[in-house]
Amino acid sequence: MELSPEKRALLWLSSAEVSAHRVSALVDQLGSARAVWEAFSTDACPKFMPKAKKTLEELHSEAKIDALIRRLEEKHVHLLFADDEAFPPLLAEIPDPPFLLYYAGKPECLTKPCVAVVGTRTPSDYGRHMAADIARGLCEAGVTVVSGLARGIDYAAHEGALSVNGCTVGVLGSGINRPYPSEHTPMLRQIASGKGLIISEFPLDATPMPFHFPYRNRIIAGLSVGTVFVEGRIQSGGMHTVTSALDQGREVFAVPGQTGYIGAEGPLAIMREGARLVTGARDILEDLSLVPLMQPLRRPKKQPPLPPLQRQIIRALRIQPMNIDELAAALKTGTDEIMTEAGIMEISGLIRREAGNSFALPNQ
Amino acid sequence: MLAKSITCGLDGVHGYLVEVEAYISNGFIGFEIVGLPSAAVKESRDRVRAAMLNSGFEFPFGRVTVNLAPADVRKEGTSYELAVAAALISAKSPRPLLHLKDTALLGELSLEGKLLPIRGALGMAITAVESGIRKLVLPRENANEVACIDGLEVYAAESLRQVVRHLTGEETLPQQPSISFESLQTSRSIRHDMKDVKGQALARAALEVAAAGGHNLLMVGVPGSGKTMLARCLPGILPPLSYGEALETTLIHSASGELEAESTLMTQRPFRSPHHNISMAAMIGGGSKAKPGEVSLAHNGVLFLDELPEFQRPTLEALRQPIEDGFVNITRVNGTNRYPSSCMLVAGMNPCPCGNYGSKRKNCTCSANEIKRYLGRISGPLLDRLDIQVEMDAVTVEEIETSAVQEDSATIRKRVIRARQRQLKRYAGTSIYCNAQLDQQGLEKWCKMEPAAKQLLMQAVERFDISMRAYARIRKVALTIADLNDRDLITVQDIAKAIQFRNVDGRYWK
Repeated sequence: MELSPEKRALLWLSSAEVSAHRVSALVDQLGSARAVWEAFSTDACPKFMPKAKKTLEELHSEAKIDALIRRLEEKHVHLLFADDEAFPPLLAEIPDPPFLLYYAGKPECLTKPCVAVVGTRTPSDYGRHMAADIARGLCEAGVTVVSGLARGIDYAAHEGALSVNGCTVGVLGSGINRPYPSEHTPMLRQIASGKGLIISEFPLDATPMPFHFPYRNRIIAGLSVGTVFVEGRIQSGGMHTVTSALDQGREVFAVPGQTGYIGAEGPLAIMREGARLVTGARDILEDLSLVPLMQPLRRPKKQPPLPPLQRQIIRALRIQPMNIDELAAALKTGTDEIMTEAGIMEISGLIRREAGNSFALPNQ
Repeated sequence: MLAKSITCGLDGVHGYLVEVEAYISNGFIGFEIVGLPSAAVKESRDRVRAAMLNSGFEFPFGRVTVNLAPADVRKEGTSYELAVAAALISAKSPRPLLHLKDTALLGELSLEGKLLPIRGALGMAITAVESGIRKLVLPRENANEVACIDGLEVYAAESLRQVVRHLTGEETLPQQPSISFESLQTSRSIRHDMKDVKGQALARAALEVAAAGGHNLLMVGVPGSGKTMLARCLPGILPPLSYGEALETTLIHSASGELEAESTLMTQRPFRSPHHNISMAAMIGGGSKAKPGEVSLAHNGVLFLDELPEFQRPTLEALRQPIEDGFVNITRVNGTNRYPSSCMLVAGMNPCPCGNYGSKRKNCTCSANEIKRYLGRISGPLLDRLDIQVEMDAVTVEEIETSAVQEDSATIRKRVIRARQRQLKRYAGTSIYCNAQLDQQGLEKWCKMEPAAKQLLMQAVERFDISMRAYARIRKVALTIADLNDRDLITVQDIAKAIQFRNVDGRYWK
């Protein structure tokens, strides 16, 4: 990979985790990143944090930068500079855009409209289900789903996208070589080797520091035309992503949860402040004018009518999720019949089972 | 002066015949027991001497040597004392102890000459009969234990004095009436009845299917969802013990000293629920004397492990082989003992450290990592052996109050017995006796599904991303459900029901 002297200097600054904000100030001050490189060993050297200074010193030689580039090539990690043609225009618009992104996978993902799906790391079954369902619907409409590869909602969103072989972008708060959490490494590989893209603002081996994640969140919001907040508390990373999206002037969506449930706190709060309520992927597509509004709802294929007991079960579950005992009491039937019928319905996807063995409708 | 008597020793759970020889010679005054006695047997010298003197017998004057033959087997325990005393009395007695040759004597002595109960009486009695000895004298507390054995005249005694008078023929002890096994069975009562379990239809069904097919069971549920209560009901819906099973089970309990005084052959299937701090030796069997462990004490019954993730991992892993094979070999420097251990494993656990994950009524406060670590304590291979896995939520007071009357254990048990009989018939001539033991070849041979059922199962495999092992488990469980419905061919309904029992696997361990 041949890089111009200016880009080599930017890579040097990025390797020491100098923030985007600071780099843009330096460039304003000295004219270019290369000027920072030139000035580094002279008296005119700008001030850096001690840790960054140490790394900058270590790497301040053309040979070291060459080695760095070789290592990136070995790991199949590519670079995207802010003035590259492929740099996502939406991200360039944000107040504090990154000057360099590391990526693995297919950057073409970013040419499609992107929507972020974010939320808590400890979701309810409902939250997980909604995240996956929305991601699936978005992908089927040709939208790229952006999330943070974290546990919980993020994982469900990526999983939903992958399940329909859709495009999905995972933005890391650590170096691509040090994905966090480590148990999501298989998913990361799957995304990078498939139609998806893994992005990080941090150098290859950066560890996941807590202060990285707010930076990561602004990229998630910045890549996307809209951000969907599925579940999370008022003080949470998801809420931070939402705030970033609002600062960047992007659309914000919220999935309604039950009042009083702690995980529904965040989405309900932003809804009161005007976020769009979302019941499924279609709502988002319509709000963002990603589907022509005239397009009629796809009619489900004519199914043969369900047996009476199955119809009754569905009717009962419309009110609230129930377990076998509750269903049997509500429908005045034996538990054995309910068990058999529910098994068949679960297999055919008419109902789904939640933790604690309650049954619910698929879209509940 | 030489005299002999007969007694039995205990090796593991089985007995072996021991011949006691007493020899009194001139020379230095002393009392020596030879024939590899352990410390407890050597100590018995003082007890024997005191018991003899306090019962009005003279202790021989001279050099006393007692030999326990075979001399190359280590003698443990206190059951030899009565025979040693009898041999010594015989060597000195003016009246011959006529019946000493054909009577086995078992019992520990107290200083005042009373007979104290021993452990392992059943195993020793069986050995005596097998060696052709027809008469047995033993402590009263042990008499009921051996009362079911055919071809044995049992005499229960309370003191050394009574025993000697019986042996000389002065005052014969009354022969103990033998108790038939059938008469014991009718008197059994069910302590924990299924009719008291409110709600929890799925778990009730799971328990019934587990009992019918001998499947191991895992219950995951919030605290207070009734896991322990259900597990305790299991012995009551299992088929009654056969004579052979009762004998085997009682043998183990007798040898471990777990039987209460004056108990008969066990007719209730054992229910063992060791605490989770149990050591591996206590679970599997072992220690320097290679005693049977909990898994053997639960032989033909139920081994209930509550709070499964709290058990030490090596202890759980060591359970795999005994559960699979139905026996456990305990090897120590001085020999190997094989103990039977075919029991049903029933495990209970909370879904997460705080216990509320998945509960509708309370919020879980655990982090994803905490839950993962908690569940990770149970290994895949162990989970693999738990055919039926069921998740439970707590039952509310309201549900308990309004719940309809449930089926009682006796009714459920009738269905279980019928299903077991079907299996015995199907597997006649093989080493398999219940569906849980089916291996891959067995599944191919006996697990027949109607086409629609097969189609449904394939659909389920696709939808739930079911692994190969879970697939085999579902088929086994479906076969048991078919057996309960008196069918050989697995139908759509059976598959739909069996699908309900795999859930935990998919949600927690993927």
